[in-house]
Amino acid sequence: MGEASLVVVAGFTLALDRRYQPETHMWVLETGPGRVRIGMDSLGVETSGTLAQLSFFATGTELTAGRPFGQLEAAKFVGPLISPVSGAVLSVNEEVASDPGLAERDPYGAGWLIEAATRETGVELPRLLAEPAEITAWFSARIAHYRLNGLIAQ
Amino acid sequence: MVEPLRIIDFGRSSPLRSQTLWHAVAYGVSASERATLSFTRPAAPYVCLGYHRGTDEVDRDYCRDNGLLVLRRMVGGGPVYLDADQLFFQICLPARAVPASSRQALRVLLEPAVMAFRGVGVPAVLDEDLEICAGDRKICGHGAARIEDAVVVCGNLIERFDHEQAARVLAFDDRCQRDQTLALMRRFVSQTPVDPAAFQAAMIAAYASALGLGPQAGALTGDERTALVDLDERFMSDAWLGGATRSPAARTGKPTARQVKVRAGVWTLGASYDGARVAAGVVRGTIDQVRLQDRGLNGSTDRAEQALTGVPLLSAAQVLADFGDPGRRLARAFAMADPARL
Repeated sequence: MGEASLVVVAGFTLALDRRYQPETHMWVLETGPGRVRIGMDSLGVETSGTLAQLSFFATGTELTAGRPFGQLEAAKFVGPLISPVSGAVLSVNEEVASDPGLAERDPYGAGWLIEAATRETGVELPRLLAEPAEITAWFSARIAHYRLNGLIAQ
Repeated sequence: MVEPLRIIDFGRSSPLRSQTLWHAVAYGVSASERATLSFTRPAAPYVCLGYHRGTDEVDRDYCRDNGLLVLRRMVGGGPVYLDADQLFFQICLPARAVPASSRQALRVLLEPAVMAFRGVGVPAVLDEDLEICAGDRKICGHGAARIEDAVVVCGNLIERFDHEQAARVLAFDDRCQRDQTLALMRRFVSQTPVDPAAFQAAMIAAYASALGLGPQAGALTGDERTALVDLDERFMSDAWLGGATRSPAARTGKPTARQVKVRAGVWTLGASYDGARVAAGVVRGTIDQVRLQDRGLNGSTDRAEQALTGVPLLSAAQVLADFGDPGRRLARAFAMADPARL
């Protein structure tokens, strides 16, 4: 990820070199043909609270877009990590599983969650936000919404 | 017409069923979207692990020798001792009816329980850590999860709390940390010996009012009974008990500190580095009590312990700098603490 692709929107970092699933705050970065890296954006991390635990489905597990690929725990609440793509888990980030704070400190870099082989690349990836202008507009609107509802600090 | 809030009182249940019954409800709510408030009380004591926690956090030998079943739940939090003096409650709603933010969801779904405690004369508050407290004491353990398309928040009315057993079932590397944990449990975890029937009635009224639903007695559906059978089998399997994650130490091969949370902001630390050993109780970031061991401390142990007591945990290394090599080893042990992950 180049420095130039990282911008700050209303206090939150945003990487513009990848795609986003807007409801779940998951990003998808293509790392090769039929292969993607998945992580959570800085706003998703912030609204989850301090991450106490992250767990992922094992390598080889089938993935379905909109269904979990793992779980996160914050404030004793266990919630699903929702996959933005269908396919299979290729690898999981053991470092972030051991130190969930990595996802908070470096959400677009070392804090990635899993790598996946995609099955419906031509169908599912185009559904995600990809244009820097639309990503920035969406991100900015979510920050305003979360601030209005007291989910993040003013 | 007011939508119903299904009320299920499971009464006394086996340890296994005191978990699987309400997990079955969660699957039912996920499928049917019927909000449900349920209650149960375990007929016998047992130990229950949060979804992500390791079995190595529990003294399995002690549990086996004392007939205590060890189970794993799907909701979060640490390992807890549960017994018949605790009335469990669970509120379960379709996920679409709950705020997407987990903190917001917890707040919305725990506030009615606070009102119920107040309704039976307990001056409860939901504090900034989202714990139900009276004064500085936690009075209700809770956990939460999204299970498929349902969100469940569970908690308990602790009529009597066996602090000794609650500390005894946990695994520690040394006796000091266990004693410190027990002492802090006694200070910061309290029972509320109110009439459980009155509490239950107050809970039903509070949740129905907060959610705008009409309470209606109910029972498990056929599908929930089917799910219950599956859950009984799953929860008794070694694979499920083994858990979703391995401990950081197992993953990285690096030693980690043993940290035991008593309530938010109150925890104990046990850590070793190069033969130096620290056992400390921490209250709101300050070292409340500490025991040190190091081959080089000689006659300075008491002085070092006194110097650390009442000091912010973050300043431990600074204080220990006055104690030479033993101080440096002990500081490295302190540095293994990671309170953010408690």
